[in-house]
Amino acid sequence: MPAKTSLDLNDPVSIKGTREFDAPVELVFAAFTDVKHLSQWWGPNGFTTTTSHFEFREGGTWRFVMHGPDGRDYENRVTFDIIEPNRRIAYHHGGGDDGEPIRFSQTVTFEDIGGGRTRIVWHGVFPNAEMRDFVIKEHGAAKGLQETTARLAGYVATMMRS
Amino acid sequence: MPDTDRLNATFAALADPTRRAILARLALGETSVQKLAEPFAISLPAISRHLKVLEHAGLISRGRDAQMRPCRIDTAGLIGVDHWLEEYRKLWRESMDKLEGYLAVMKAQQQAEGDAPQKKTRSVKRQGTGHARKD
Repeated sequence: MPAKTSLDLNDPVSIKGTREFDAPVELVFAAFTDVKHLSQWWGPNGFTTTTSHFEFREGGTWRFVMHGPDGRDYENRVTFDIIEPNRRIAYHHGGGDDGEPIRFSQTVTFEDIGGGRTRIVWHGVFPNAEMRDFVIKEHGAAKGLQETTARLAGYVATMMRS
Repeated sequence: MPDTDRLNATFAALADPTRRAILARLALGETSVQKLAEPFAISLPAISRHLKVLEHAGLISRGRDAQMRPCRIDTAGLIGVDHWLEEYRKLWRESMDKLEGYLAVMKAQQQAEGDAPQKKTRSVKRQGTGHARKD
């Protein structure tokens, strides 16, 4: 059975994926807009979610704790930047005084593909392009370092020239 | 999910262009703080502060030699970022699987509401049926 979720692995520091659902776009969007729905499906397998604050508007935040199967809790804070009903949601993680990895942005687009079906595309990026490029290059380099430090030097030499 | 404090420190450390330049230099090989500071138009104490941030972020390590304390690149920080990205990919993959199942529940609920004896919903349904017959 082929994977239902397609992931773009060309860019090692972004999180990009596409998925099609057999449901109309209004219904899929609704699943994202209400905590009552979100708590039913958001999170990796084995996780449950407790929401302390949810305000689905531009500038509003969603604060929640993800309870892992290992008993650990993970604090989350999401701020909604753009909300276009049935089309697009953009948000970012972290900020403020919580322990979330800072400055990671995510966009989710919704597309009516006909026949009562919907395509979702999610894309997460570092907002700072230089930081992102650095992680791409050094990340590749770091993997090389595990085998040989010479490879790392090669990567960086290329990086310095570019 | 990896240690979020360390991860925060790594993200913050990488957000600064001087610190990225220091890392790029260190990727060529280990060196002393003095040598490291040479190409930068900032003071030695300022470089030392950047190095502290990088060390805390798991992006560099320092030698034990009290006088030299040579700096070298450390992969722990970048591996942390890698793990976090992997966890985040997994979060989406598995959430989307669950969403698929939940949408079926939502559809069933919507249908049940549609079948409920409510005048408005019923008339919409009849219209739909009539249209289908015409075709």
